[in-house]
Amino acid sequence: MKVTALLRKEAQDILKNKIYLLVVFVQVFILFGTFGIAITSSIASDPTLLDDSGIISSLKVGVPESIRGSELETNLLNQKLALIYYNNIDDAKDFLGTFLVAVVYSNPDGQDVTVKTDNSNIFYPVISTKINKAVNEYQIENKLVSTGLNMAEVQNILNPVDLKVVYLNEENPADLAIDSPYFVEIMYGFIVPFILLLPFFLASNIVTDSVVGERERKTFEVILMAPISSSMVMLGKTMPILAFSIVQSIVWIVLLNLLKVPIYNPVLIVILLFFIGLGFIGVGILLSMFVDSTKEANSAITIVLVFATFVLFMPLFIKASYFTPFLNYIPTVLMIKLASTPHISPNIILFSVPTILISLTLFAITIIYFRHERAIRL
Amino acid sequence: MKFTIITKWELKGTLKSKKFMMIFFLQLSVLLLMIVVFNSFVTNIESEEGVSITPSLNDFASLDVQDQSGLISKYVNPEILNITLSNYNSSLTRIAEGKTTGFLYVPGDAVQKIQMGQTVDMIIYLDSSDPKNSVLRDEVNSTAKIVSKSYSNTLVASAYPKNSKIPAINQETTGESLPLQIIKKVMLVILLFLPLLLFGNMVIDSIVGEKERKTGEILVAMPISYAQIIIGKNMAVVLTISLQVLIWLIILLLSGFNINNPLLVFIFIFLTSIPIVGITSMVAAYSKNYKEAGIGLSILYIGIVGFLIVPVLVYISRKSFWSNISPMTIVMRLFTGEYPSLTDYSLTLTCIATLSIISYWITIKLFERDDIIFGPRPGILRLLSDFLTFKKY
Repeated sequence: MKVTALLRKEAQDILKNKIYLLVVFVQVFILFGTFGIAITSSIASDPTLLDDSGIISSLKVGVPESIRGSELETNLLNQKLALIYYNNIDDAKDFLGTFLVAVVYSNPDGQDVTVKTDNSNIFYPVISTKINKAVNEYQIENKLVSTGLNMAEVQNILNPVDLKVVYLNEENPADLAIDSPYFVEIMYGFIVPFILLLPFFLASNIVTDSVVGERERKTFEVILMAPISSSMVMLGKTMPILAFSIVQSIVWIVLLNLLKVPIYNPVLIVILLFFIGLGFIGVGILLSMFVDSTKEANSAITIVLVFATFVLFMPLFIKASYFTPFLNYIPTVLMIKLASTPHISPNIILFSVPTILISLTLFAITIIYFRHERAIRL
Repeated sequence: MKFTIITKWELKGTLKSKKFMMIFFLQLSVLLLMIVVFNSFVTNIESEEGVSITPSLNDFASLDVQDQSGLISKYVNPEILNITLSNYNSSLTRIAEGKTTGFLYVPGDAVQKIQMGQTVDMIIYLDSSDPKNSVLRDEVNSTAKIVSKSYSNTLVASAYPKNSKIPAINQETTGESLPLQIIKKVMLVILLFLPLLLFGNMVIDSIVGEKERKTGEILVAMPISYAQIIIGKNMAVVLTISLQVLIWLIILLLSGFNINNPLLVFIFIFLTSIPIVGITSMVAAYSKNYKEAGIGLSILYIGIVGFLIVPVLVYISRKSFWSNISPMTIVMRLFTGEYPSLTDYSLTLTCIATLSIISYWITIKLFERDDIIFGPRPGILRLLSDFLTFKKY
């Protein structure tokens, strides 16, 4: 029996399993879902994108009738806010938090301005930025005009710094779904590594199912009696699973590119994923050796995957000094840098050495243990 | 023979299993990890202005800066940007070679210009081919606005007569910020409900295990109704879950979490576990084996989590009455010290009761069918057709 026969059998087992194919479909759902959430939240948190999308009716601000024709009204309208006029401003205050996101009014002499904002509204950051800008400009203009300065001088004081943006390499622009910093940060900083690692979470489940399942069905003896070495059995068991996961990740890379989230350095990413996959599969096989049934294996792998999620993703969200020395070596951080940088620095290879070493060590330990018949407890 | 005997057998078998106890305590260690994460989030949020839930990206993008005046460069966020002091020619070459994402040029006499009341023209050169250019533009823009505002205020203060009345802006906010509510309320309520979703395997083992071990025949031959078998088995799981919830609740209280009405919180989580276990047993009763049940459950739990969490988010933004349909909303309201009305409680309890009755009824009906327990298993369409035509088994 050649190892190719085992490889073919394992590959067929995976591809014929409707449940694995269903899980692949679930991943597509997750990919599109997270992409949609990223787009929506990017628009909701960006004043410019919100203006462009025409969701202006969501941002209703209550103002008194007396504001009509004033500079304050002009400034608020310049911020593209939907103003709702009230004869009695106390009526507007009653609607704050339900129909209205904010209420703006000034005292009778038009000097002091009061802004009441609903902090719990999803559009609070945008509405707050817009109103603050309008009110601050109104206030400063009022102050400066009263000192006798002309409008040009007032504008110089209001905007002492002017930032001009010049784009280079315009012949080859990054083809992004939306031009938003939040979108870039959340997509590359979390969603891309999360999506690309999903197949490897599934791989740990497949490998435990493959090993423990064979043992439960009493078919492992047949494989072990075949004229191939234990290492080749391991190779035959793991390579199809690894290949299945890598192919999924490659498909997700292609899909992300089609969704206009360009993934750079795909070859380096796939190489890194190969080693991460070895680590995941190694852990899966090690666990399979210590459990008695598929049920136990599923429970144990779930716990291990929860821990893996903490190790891989929590450093991205928690600013803690104890993470700092390791941050650049964490596989998810490496993936973020690889996926988002068109021209990567060669140093990245050095940073990926610990991941490669840990994965190879885990896999080597698995092979060594697997050679002992007692470890697989037939 | 009553269902309590089945419950006793199941509980005995579960609590005697060393592996179950190991997993039970591993789940507790997951909770402890989550408490650490939770506290880190809250600390981060409470220590910063401008709250946002985005990953902290160390050296995410690189920026070259020529700023002899130091007007901007010292204020740019160093956490997300890797800043290199450079000059025009070398930086433009570095952009062309893809070694940096952008270059910021600030005139050397920037500070003097501002003090003389003139505008400072800064230029940022961005590499269009790098997707991170918008991050750079946003960071520099924000920094320029902060610096600009600071200088504006100084200039305004010097231009405005000292003894004149200064117009004021009174800012008031109502409600708690959305990210803070999500972290403090939603994450805590998810932590409290998490044990409910961790015991699916126990239900599967209790029902599918009987099929796989071929012990279902003995069970159905016993002098006990199908309904009592299902209720007995599920009660064992519900009691185990309530024990885990109780331990989690005590740990959270000891860790300093502010949980008002802990008894009512516990009662509602306990009640919620009844329909969740019912729905799980429904999937388990129909499944042929562990694997199938496991995958079916994973998909179903996505729906259950959605049903529980979405109304919570709706309640946070809209305070809608219908959001009380989710027990999670009531629990969140209870531990934050709110007092829901009787109609709010009745909506939650009606939902729990309806789901429980439907799920247990379906499970019992499935368990009564020989073709489901012993095979060949009928398809879902066939089951529906039997149900609609009142076909008896």
